[in-house]
Amino acid sequence: MPTVTFKGKTYEVDEDGFLQDPESWDEDFAYYVKEEEGISELTDEHWKVIRYLQEYYKKNGIAPMVRIMTKVTGYKLKQIYELFPSGPGKGACKMAGLAKPTGCV
Amino acid sequence: MAEMVANRITDIGPPKYDEMWPEIIKNNYGKWLHHEILEPGVLVHVAESGDKLYTVRCGATRLMTTHMVEDYCKIADEFCGGYFRFTTRNNVEFMVTSTEKLEGLKKALAAAGNMPIGGTGHSVTNIVHTQGWVHCHTPAIDASGPVKSVMDALFDYFTSMKLPAQVRIALACCLNMCGAVHCSDIAILGVHRKPPVIEHSHLDKMCEIPTTIASCPTAAIKPSKVDDFKSVAVNADRCMYCGNCYTMCPAMPLADADGDGIAIMVGGKVSNSKCMPKFSKLAIPYIPNEPPRWESTVKAITTILEAYVSGAKRYERIGEWIERIGWERFFDVTGFEFTKRHIDDYRFAATTWRTSTQFKW
Ligand code: SF4
Ligand code: SF4
Repeated sequence: MPTVTFKGKTYEVDEDGFLQDPESWDEDFAYYVKEEEGISELTDEHWKVIRYLQEYYKKNGIAPMVRIMTKVTGYKLKQIYELFPSGPGKGACKMAGLAKPTGCV
Repeated sequence: MAEMVANRITDIGPPKYDEMWPEIIKNNYGKWLHHEILEPGVLVHVAESGDKLYTVRCGATRLMTTHMVEDYCKIADEFCGGYFRFTTRNNVEFMVTSTEKLEGLKKALAAAGNMPIGGTGHSVTNIVHTQGWVHCHTPAIDASGPVKSVMDALFDYFTSMKLPAQVRIALACCLNMCGAVHCSDIAILGVHRKPPVIEHSHLDKMCEIPTTIASCPTAAIKPSKVDDFKSVAVNADRCMYCGNCYTMCPAMPLADADGDGIAIMVGGKVSNSKCMPKFSKLAIPYIPNEPPRWESTVKAITTILEAYVSGAKRYERIGEWIERIGWERFFDVTGFEFTKRHIDDYRFAATTWRTSTQFKW
């Protein structure tokens, strides 16, 4: 399994940079993805989305549908893309340490 | 924001469809009077203005190198003012405006050796197919391999127009059915015969368990704790190996060299001519995977085609022919075995059973 090292910590990831084990997530991992995604700064808005995704995943065992995420966070999809240029899946879910999206993506 | 989005161009869509039209198409758009098939693979369209557009259709492998595309471009540059197009069945069409150019074009294509002219009228044209072992992660069979084998065997039907009606063949390497297998005269479909293997130690880490459970059409999956791992259990008696759970959950692979193979379906169509569009139906539940030539599959398809040629009336598609003679007769004339696997047992199955005394011995 490939690993990435960031700020002295090592994370197991897959070839797309998604965490292998959601349990190994910590805030530094979000900063690692921020670098990778070319996001200049993690704002409160970023954290609001990340925390919401984690909370929903913990409670329901799945990532929320985009409509639910936008409704609860109050950010329109356009704003989500402004925060996470790769979008809610490859950007936000990866940063939040959720499992990689599957299906015919 | 950072470099990633600086200078990023988005939402520009494809180039407008008419940007790459040859002059003659631009001039006669919406003003065509009639067309004719001059010979297998060669069409002429006549416009109100009297303009004539000759089209030569060539078989193509769909999966091709940039070198192959360059070869097409060279032909197009030499004869067609730089224009050519691809059809909805991934054939290539070159268009010219005079019979002299048409003859030159035909010669050049014949000389190329890998641009066979055909696919028009009552023929077997290109096979709509998928990724197979070239690129996808859920296939039960290959795509390019079987397609090459079948087209080799049916090549004579590609370059002639001697069938009762056009025969559309499609292939999908799993029952996601990317493409047209569910609505083709003859369909080649990759199927599994074994339930998924469950990788308990990391299933919960890689997969959303509720999504995985919801992906099963027969509700064979339930949540389960195995050796302290949060995971799922599959009731093998309910599983029909569709592989949908693997699509959603990478920890449930089911590809299997011995189990996987081909199902053949027949009788589908999309056009509205004469009868409504039809779904294709199961003719052979399982043929083993036989790379690299898939002999048994090729033989089965040839059998269907030959029975159809000798039994069908003019203009009758395979599905219309079978419905006219009856499915029991179809199994008679092809010699295919009819098994319990042919009998629908999914949800609205009863609508496909026979509720009549009409049948042939
Ligand atoms: S039919 Fe199945 S295996 Fe083939 S390309 Fe589509 S999803 Fe992949
Ligand atoms: S292979 Fe299909 S039927 Fe079997 S458990 Fe998976 S989703 Fe259900």
